[in-house]
This record gives sequence, C-alpha cells and structure tokens, in this order.
Amino acid sequence: MEYSSLLFIYGFFPVSLILFHITPKRLKEVMLLLLSIVFCSFFGVRYLICIAAYVLFNYAAARLTDALRKKSAVLCFIPFALGMMFDIFVLFSFRTERFSVVYRALRLHEGFFPVGISLFTLSALGYLIDVFNGRLRSEKNIVRYSLYIMMFPRLLMGPVLRYDTFRRIMNSRSSGTQELGKGLTLFIKGLAKKVLAADTLYALYIAVRSYDTRDMSAVTAWLGITAYVLCLYFTLSGIADMGVGIGYCFGFRFPQSFNYPMFSSRIRYFAAKWHVQVIHWFRNYITKPFASSMRNRYLNKLIFIGAWTVTGFWYGFTVSSALWGALMGTAIVVENKLRNSRMLKATGIIYTFLLVTVFSVFLASDTVSDGLAYLLAMIGGNRSLTDGLTLYLLRSYLVVLLVTMYASTDLFRNMLVRSGRQLLRKIFSAVTPVVMVVLLAVCTALISSSGSSGMLLLRL
Amino acid sequence: MKNITSKLTAVAVLTFIAFFGAASLAPCDNSEKTVIPALTWDNIADGGFGSGLSSLAAQHFAFSDSWRSVGSRIDSGISGSIVNSVYIADDRLIAADISERESTDECAEIVNAFADSYNGAVYFAAVPTSAGVYGDALPSHLSRVTEKQQTDRFYEQLSGDIRRVDAYNLMKMLSDDRIYLRSDTKWTMYGAYCLYRTVIQKLGSQPVSFDKYTIRHVTNEYRGDLYKRTLYMKCEPDILDIYEYPDGAQVTECVSVGNDGREHDCSLYDTDALGSDDMYRLYLGERQPLVRITTDVNNDRKLLLIGSECAAGFVPFLTQHYSEITVYLPEYADRPLSDFADLNDYEQTLFLFGIDAVKTEILEKTEMR
Repeated sequence: MEYSSLLFIYGFFPVSLILFHITPKRLKEVMLLLLSIVFCSFFGVRYLICIAAYVLFNYAAARLTDALRKKSAVLCFIPFALGMMFDIFVLFSFRTERFSVVYRALRLHEGFFPVGISLFTLSALGYLIDVFNGRLRSEKNIVRYSLYIMMFPRLLMGPVLRYDTFRRIMNSRSSGTQELGKGLTLFIKGLAKKVLAADTLYALYIAVRSYDTRDMSAVTAWLGITAYVLCLYFTLSGIADMGVGIGYCFGFRFPQSFNYPMFSSRIRYFAAKWHVQVIHWFRNYITKPFASSMRNRYLNKLIFIGAWTVTGFWYGFTVSSALWGALMGTAIVVENKLRNSRMLKATGIIYTFLLVTVFSVFLASDTVSDGLAYLLAMIGGNRSLTDGLTLYLLRSYLVVLLVTMYASTDLFRNMLVRSGRQLLRKIFSAVTPVVMVVLLAVCTALISSSGSSGMLLLRL
Repeated sequence: MKNITSKLTAVAVLTFIAFFGAASLAPCDNSEKTVIPALTWDNIADGGFGSGLSSLAAQHFAFSDSWRSVGSRIDSGISGSIVNSVYIADDRLIAADISERESTDECAEIVNAFADSYNGAVYFAAVPTSAGVYGDALPSHLSRVTEKQQTDRFYEQLSGDIRRVDAYNLMKMLSDDRIYLRSDTKWTMYGAYCLYRTVIQKLGSQPVSFDKYTIRHVTNEYRGDLYKRTLYMKCEPDILDIYEYPDGAQVTECVSVGNDGREHDCSLYDTDALGSDDMYRLYLGERQPLVRITTDVNNDRKLLLIGSECAAGFVPFLTQHYSEITVYLPEYADRPLSDFADLNDYEQTLFLFGIDAVKTEILEKTEMR
C-alpha cells in the first residue's frame, strides 16, 4: 500500500489516527506497532514474515553484542559480525539479481521486493555499529526496536535516523490539532509532489527513454535527463514528506530528508541538502571512521570519494550508479579546491544543475556503456540537435518543466520569509487550509482511476 | 497566526477525508462490477489481496466517475494529450500503451499445428486495432513497433497452406470511413462489412452488396473502453448499428454453449445489451465460449470461426453463406476447442483475431488433443 493511494488516504490513515489517539498513553507504541504490522501485511504476509524475522535477528544480535561487550571484545564481535553479515547479505539478496537462490529457498515469487529494505538496513547496521562501539546501550524494549525498523510512517522513505535520535523523538511526542495540521500540510505537499509533479515528469522521461538512444536528438536527451532528475527529486522527497507528515500527525517530529537541493549554488550544498540522513549515514559510518585513522590528506580525499561511490552503489546496486556516486564525490573534492574561483561564483546555480544532471545519466542508466551512449546523444553525437519528438515534448511538457523547476526551489518560501510584509504572510496563512484541500482534491482526482500512484523511479 | 492556520488546515483536511471516506462505504451504483479480492493463501502471502483491496477502494470511492472525469481533464491539461495511456486525438481516442508487444512466433506455431492436424482449409485474418489504423496520429515515440510489422512478422511464420487475409492494408486504406469506433479499440459494423467483402471471396463465395442491407442505428450513446479509461467528455459517443438483410437467408437457430456445457438460446443481435454497462454485447449477446448458428441456407456448408471479440460483429455477414456457423471464442473458454466441437464436421476454419488478441494463452486453447 502506497501512501499515495485512496485506500491509505481515505481508509488506513484516518482509521489508524483514530485508533492511535484513543489508545491509552502506555499502549500507544504497541498500537503503532500493530498498525505497522497491518500496513506491512498489505505487501503480503511473506513480506511481513521477512521483516519480522529481520527485526528479531537484529534485536538478538544487538542484545548479545551489548551483553558480551563487557565480558570479552572477541566474543562480542561474533554476534556483531553475524548481524552485519546477515544485514548485508539480505540487502544484496533482494537488491541484486545474483541471489536467486534466496528467492527459491524462501519460495518467493520473482517480483517480490521487501519495500524499504535499503533504508531499514542502514538503520539496523548503524544501530549494531553504535552498540558494538559502546556509543549506545542496546534497546531492551522489543516493541520500540520493532518500531525503529518497521514503523509505517518511516518504512517507505525513512528518514534514516540514529537510534538515539529516534528514541529522543519517540520520547518527546507532542500531540494536538496544531501538530495534526502541520502533519497534514506536509503530507499533502508530499502527495502533490508525487502525484502532480513526479508522475507527470515520469511520463516525459519514459517518452524519451522509449526512444533508441542511438537515434536521439541532443535536445530530446537533455529533456529526458532533466525530467529524470526532477522526477527523482519529487518522487523521493514526495514520499519522504508524506512519511514525515504522517509522523507529525501521530506526534513524532521526524526531520525532513530534502531541503530544496535542486538549484543549489554549489555541488557541496546540493550534497548537504539531498537525502540528508542517508548522506549523513554514509559520512558517519564510512567516511569518518576511515578518515579519522588516516593522516594523509590525499588518502582522506580518496576515502571521501569512496564513501560517495558506496552511496551511489546503494541507490542503484549497479556499477553505473556507483559511478554517479564517484563523480559526485570527485566534483565536491574539486569544487572545494576551487572554492574561491570567480568562475564558480559567477556560474554557481547553472554549473551545479548541469553537473548534477549530467552525472545523473549514470544513475538513470543500467550500465556504464548505456550512460555513455546517452551522454553522446546529449552532446549531439547522433548528429541531430532536435527532431519531431523534441517539438512534441516541448509543446506538451515545457510548462510542466518550468513549473516543477520553480517548485523544486525555495524561492517561494524565501519570498515569504524575506518579504517582511505581514500582510503577504497573513494572506498566505489564510488561504493555506483552502489550498491544502484543493491540492488533496486534485491529487485524489488524478489517482482515482488507478486507485494509487505507484510509480517508483528507484526501489529503495 | 501559524497556529490558527495549522488548526484550520487540520479541521478542513480531516473533514474532507472523513466525508469522502465515509461516503465510499455506502453501496455504489456499480457494485455488481466490484471485484472483491479472493481470500486465498497465495493472494494474502504475495500481496495480491492488498493490491486487490486498493483496486476495490478505487472502484468503491465516492463519486468515482466524477473524480475520474475531473482527473482526466487535469491530466490532459498538465501533460497534453495522453491520459491513462490513451491518446486524445482531434476526433477520436487512441490506445497509446507503451509496452513491448508480445512475440507472435509461438502463436504462429500453434496455428500451424492446428492446420497440420486439420483436414479442411484454414484462413487467418489478423485485424488491426484502431491504434494500428490511426497510429499515425500518435506521437512517434508511442508508435514504434507498428501493428503492421507485428502482423507481417506473424504472417511470415504461418505455414504456406494457411491462407492469409491482408486486413491491415484494407482497413488502413479505408481509414477515412467510419470503420472504427471513436471511443473504443473495436471496429464498427461497417468496418466488419468491409473486411467481410474480402474474406468471403477467399472463402469461395460472393459478398452481399452493401445496398441490400437495411441499417438500423440502435444507439448513439455508446462509450467504449477508451472512453472509460479517460472519461474524456469531448469525445462524442459512438453509434452502434444493426445490419439486416430482409430478403436474404435467415437464422433458424442460435445457441450458445457455456463452460459448464449448458446450452442457451441467443441471437445475433441482443438489444437487451443496450441497457447494460457493455453495449458492445449487442453483437452475439453475453459472451460464451461457443455459439452455434443454423441458417436456412440450403448448401450444407459449415464454417468454424475461431475468433476474438471482433468476431462478434462479423458473424451476421457470414450467415448468408453457410447453413451452420460455429463460433469459438477461446478468450471466454476454460476448456480447449476439442471439448466443444468435432473439427471433422467443418470443411473451412477461419481465424479472425484482433492483432492485440494474438496471444499464446488464448490460441493454445485451439490445440488439438
């Protein structure tokens, strides 16, 4: 069940809100876990069994690691290593096609995919590492640990949180109509990002990709990859916003994952605003531990690029997506070298957007050679600048592209904040409830024929 | 101010959700079409039950037709002319699903095997859909593998003793006439008549000329599958016709046979269907795997017609040439053809399939056991 489905918006969500709010305080987490179990069961009982087994194994591994840590460093390494290997094996099994033996052993059909596995594996791995390092005591409360992995507002798109952050948020729950309003506003914004922006951009992207890259004109190729980058942003941030919004409705203030990265003036700003908690995870658990043990500047930079390469690999589990990560890491390193360059200052937003778009070709491609062929088309290597398809796509989607580009920036928010005019803010505040209802109605109309908006550019 | 805005937003949005959520629980007009997901272990285990419930929610959603109509307008407003994989052309709707077409090689093998084990003559007419004939109106990226290429490839794979009917070029040539419905992928009775003229000559008879038919427009409110996918009101409804030849041969008996083996009376034109949700059932009535039509033609010729949905509108023209016509619609059968009919009774077999229905799982029901 997607957040952007009629069944969720008009069925599961309101019912779960009511059930949660009428449950006595001490049982609220149990109720939330029950609701998460029901949510998971919509993906199938096999999925539910898989995630339950995953939770139990990780819970046991962390408890054992913690219990043995004071007795013997060697002994506590065993459950820690087993837990790590299990998590990584499970992640590879479901995200690559090289472990079909797992599918056969568990009698899973070919299309089975444990939704959210990439995200909750990061959570589980980070928690195990923190327990092993002594940064955290293991959680005794299995209900709360289960929520850490499978709580339904976080299941599909995170945010990936360190366990102590998660615990703090769970302990400082605040509920009320105001929180509900904030949550619903965030949810509807996310829904609109997904249904209005991402789904439309996906139609443009798929129209371009259905064409043979070898026959593609340069402008068509640029249109396609621009649509891809924007679609990826609106899909991931839309689902993440919906999740955070749902969390707010239940009183949990989870942080947002995307902070208007698209038209940043530097690559490093883009990196700092894109999928914030995931990028932080790789920094905290890969870059920092390795870099802290190295004195050599150049080696540190290599480690930095390596961590980005792993980040890229995590997104797509292909060599091509790893190359995207490597290029991003390299670009940040080079940019830091040229920090004071006038050229950078003059071309900030344009060069950042161009580089991000060009690198994304590898994230969008299955193989490096596909990516290179697409890049060739983008620079006019097919000896065609425009064609009939370009004109058709421009006619149909130019307005969409421009509007979504604007919507992906923080220009509107900044305008409100910086305007200093109280009247403008008051007007905006007054119309917000109406705008939210209209947006919800428009999204409902758009998903009414299929019942949901299931398009996912990346399965995480 | 922010606090008040948040509270007002909460109240407004929750009221909206509660209203439509509660209204969706009420019984709806199309409840007979509602598909309740089966509560089987496989369905529950693999998530089929969950996605079935999601579809059920969409079917049962309050004022769903109005929502879908508004949705299609917004969709066409945002992204131009394509709504729910249907292209909105100036004068018609055209299916524009971007999907790889299934290879027809295996289908050709099945038909070849049928012809090898059959003593009579076999004919094959692969009929294009409206998307095949009017595909030129589609943006180029939506019409990559044409139905013509698919048909040519399929015909190449058929063995030499199967006689092929070039329906594609014929329909393409007549595309300016009203041969396809505007709001559906199916052909009109006139479209069927145009192909009949060619087919019946291949089958060894002379066609009845057009002016001998009395044509009745039985409804001008037909809205087809493509309309139902878009709810695009600007596409005008279609007219459904009945072709009658008062001076020609008459049907003496028309019997349909269900999967349970039971026989029911039926007719070439079931006008009761005009009051139903699927008016196209006007032709040959409620779909059954087999329909046996006996006429007063005095020539002892029997035809086996194996076809897809498009065959239903074709049958009335054949009644002038055969004393008995058996129509087998494998799409609706849960058993093979040999369970329904003895092939030795027929000297001619005509396969009449929409090219979109040339599929292995359909054709394999014609395999001889």
